[in-house]
Amino acid sequence: MNAADLARQLRALLPRGRVLTSAPQLAGYASDGLGFKAWLPDAVVIPADAQELAQFMRGAVALNLPVIMRGAGTSLSGGPVAAQGGVVVHTSGLRAIRHLEANGLWCEVECGVSLQELEQVLLPHGLFYPPDPSSGPVCTLGGNVASNAGGAHCFRYGVTSNYVLGVEALMLDGSLHRFGGPAGGRGPWREDWKRFMIGSEGTLAAFTRFWLRLLPLPEKIWTFRATFADLRATEAAIHALVAHPSAPAAIELLDPRAVAMVESSQMACGLPQGSFMLLVEIDGPAALVDGRVAEVAQLLRDAGSGDVQFSDEAAIRQRLWKARKAAGGLLGQLSPSYVVQDAVIPKRALAEVLQLVYDEADAAGIATVNIFHAGDGNLHPNFLFDARQPDQLEKVERISKRLMQRVVEVGGTLSGEHGIGNDKAAYMPMVFGIVGTRLQLAVAAAFNPAHQLNPLKVFEQRRFCA
Amino acid sequence: MSPAITHGAERLFDHGLDVVDGTLCLPADAKAAEVRAHIGNHALRFPLWLDGQSSLRDHLNASSHAPASSRFGPYGDNVLGMNWRLPSGELLRLGERVVKTTTGYDWLRFALHSGTRFGRAEDLVLRLRPACDFNGMARLDGSAQALQSCAQSLLHSPWLCWWDSVDWLHASGQCWLRVQWHGRATEAALFEEQLRHLAKIHGCSIALEGLPEAQLDGLPDLVLKTTPERVMALATQMAPHCRRTLAMLHHGLLHLDLGGNEACAMQAHEWAQSLAASLHELGGDWHSRWLPARAPDITESKWIQTLEAALHEA
Repeated sequence: MNAADLARQLRALLPRGRVLTSAPQLAGYASDGLGFKAWLPDAVVIPADAQELAQFMRGAVALNLPVIMRGAGTSLSGGPVAAQGGVVVHTSGLRAIRHLEANGLWCEVECGVSLQELEQVLLPHGLFYPPDPSSGPVCTLGGNVASNAGGAHCFRYGVTSNYVLGVEALMLDGSLHRFGGPAGGRGPWREDWKRFMIGSEGTLAAFTRFWLRLLPLPEKIWTFRATFADLRATEAAIHALVAHPSAPAAIELLDPRAVAMVESSQMACGLPQGSFMLLVEIDGPAALVDGRVAEVAQLLRDAGSGDVQFSDEAAIRQRLWKARKAAGGLLGQLSPSYVVQDAVIPKRALAEVLQLVYDEADAAGIATVNIFHAGDGNLHPNFLFDARQPDQLEKVERISKRLMQRVVEVGGTLSGEHGIGNDKAAYMPMVFGIVGTRLQLAVAAAFNPAHQLNPLKVFEQRRFCA
Repeated sequence: MSPAITHGAERLFDHGLDVVDGTLCLPADAKAAEVRAHIGNHALRFPLWLDGQSSLRDHLNASSHAPASSRFGPYGDNVLGMNWRLPSGELLRLGERVVKTTTGYDWLRFALHSGTRFGRAEDLVLRLRPACDFNGMARLDGSAQALQSCAQSLLHSPWLCWWDSVDWLHASGQCWLRVQWHGRATEAALFEEQLRHLAKIHGCSIALEGLPEAQLDGLPDLVLKTTPERVMALATQMAPHCRRTLAMLHHGLLHLDLGGNEACAMQAHEWAQSLAASLHELGGDWHSRWLPARAPDITESKWIQTLEAALHEA
């Protein structure tokens, strides 16, 4: 089908929405947060509402092109991109918060609602939705559910799957199904199909709306920042925090290379060179958490930190968070390209795996900084490079492969919260044997047998045959 | 370009305790005493018990939630992985030994409560939590209205995330609210003060006690899943006909004790049928360990058959 025919067909399917086909327009949808990998889609459509999205899905099979759902495009794994060409469906038209049931601690939202929009609606009711990926100001709930997003506070609060009560999904045959709902059960189904939907990265269905579980806002939050001279002391602090009854909400780590990056920027905040930085938060009822502050501070000192700062005042807490928050943005300033891995490891293997990252990156001459969710053992090694240099990309891929091999050997997994996308699909055979892969692919076969939805993601075998 | 990665052997979980990560892998037939024995002196616990004499497998077959799910979530959030016996006899690993994963489709949570159609759990990897030295329990009594308003306050309190369970119970003609927590004895007074304060505001009487371990309610005969704002009304409707009724307020779950034996299957079936439509409308459901799962419709049968084909091929 030529471009003009495609545009005409799409406009027929979306009389109220938008159809984008010019190269400059498409360029904005060529990549996600994994910016160095780009694929230009054949077209982008922006349905005006859920009804129009349904209309589009009913006609999508006839297009005979891949269909890729996309929220804000902030994912870091090469997920919502047209790796095999096709039509990107941007969900920014589905932004209604349809219902808030404060008494029942749940809400019903459309897939294009951003995390920040939801937060603002919940705040006056004293409620919050806990998953908090760092792209929170812009990322959409659709993307969050698709990638089972996490965030800094999921050590205690858990990831997206812990909060999704129901998913409304549009299949490629045009049928609309509700898996679960405000009650969070199976609904009229024999099986709990929403379990497959959450984290499916747009490969099974197009999501239109969700029912989400909410929690009462914590009354008090204390933030702690501590620096450590070495990893052994940092690990001791992490292990003690994980076992502590105060159940920290967040345990975040910056390695010395990340600290150096922050300190040599305009965002410097006086962290000692060569130090590991831990950022810890405890929250809950004031009467309870206030009584635990001295104990947590002492725990950090006992582990070897001579520099423990903490506060419950918003402005100071913001200052304590500064290095952690700034680090992500600084990565992009340091090199033309970077890739962030998302492995989860048993915490006892932290020193070994981190050393592997350093050794491999140093040997290849690739810069690396590590900023991650230490409480969960969720590593985020960032490799900084120049994708325009072919040998650099190869080096990064080689390091990533060795890292993932070791992660799996120590009992970890490829992704904790970013999803597999096309970035990590090649590593899936490390985790799944032949039988396991067959079971995994059977899920896709049940809902999207031709792999028309988001092909070449999650499993490399998922190729759309037109 | 490096060569494609080839499939390794299927990985399996090994039995054992990881005290650093707080995980324990053991047979699915293990009971509470065995879990405790494995944990030994390490300050860890698995909080989702319904019955001390029943195996973990029986728990998973009986319900998706336990009272402590109020704080820790359903079993699906506390069972990290399984060694899963396929219908073909092969053993396969589902899930991970780490606390979060988004690697592939979530077969673990899908299969966990699906009965034996897709296979059977041989071993489970449990997520353990830090253990302290004190189990507290509060019983709040009052009029139906007082309990209703008190329940709302409990659910909207910043303490909600620190109470193991917030339940409405009915037995022997009486109903009451029960709040259980697990913490340090040195902090017990704070919990008690907060609960006394709430009881007073809502005109409820309160009795507080420390327990050697959390109160167990037994395996339910019928489980109904609705929304938190509707669960007390549904519990009130069902309670007069049950030996014991437990409503887990945070998750909108109802555990009904109809006698604890197969003889109650008929009753469970009758109620499940009469309530199914209203539960399904909200995305809720029913489940009974004495009854087969409902038959799938044509659409669902197709999906199930696709999965089964892969399982049997394996």
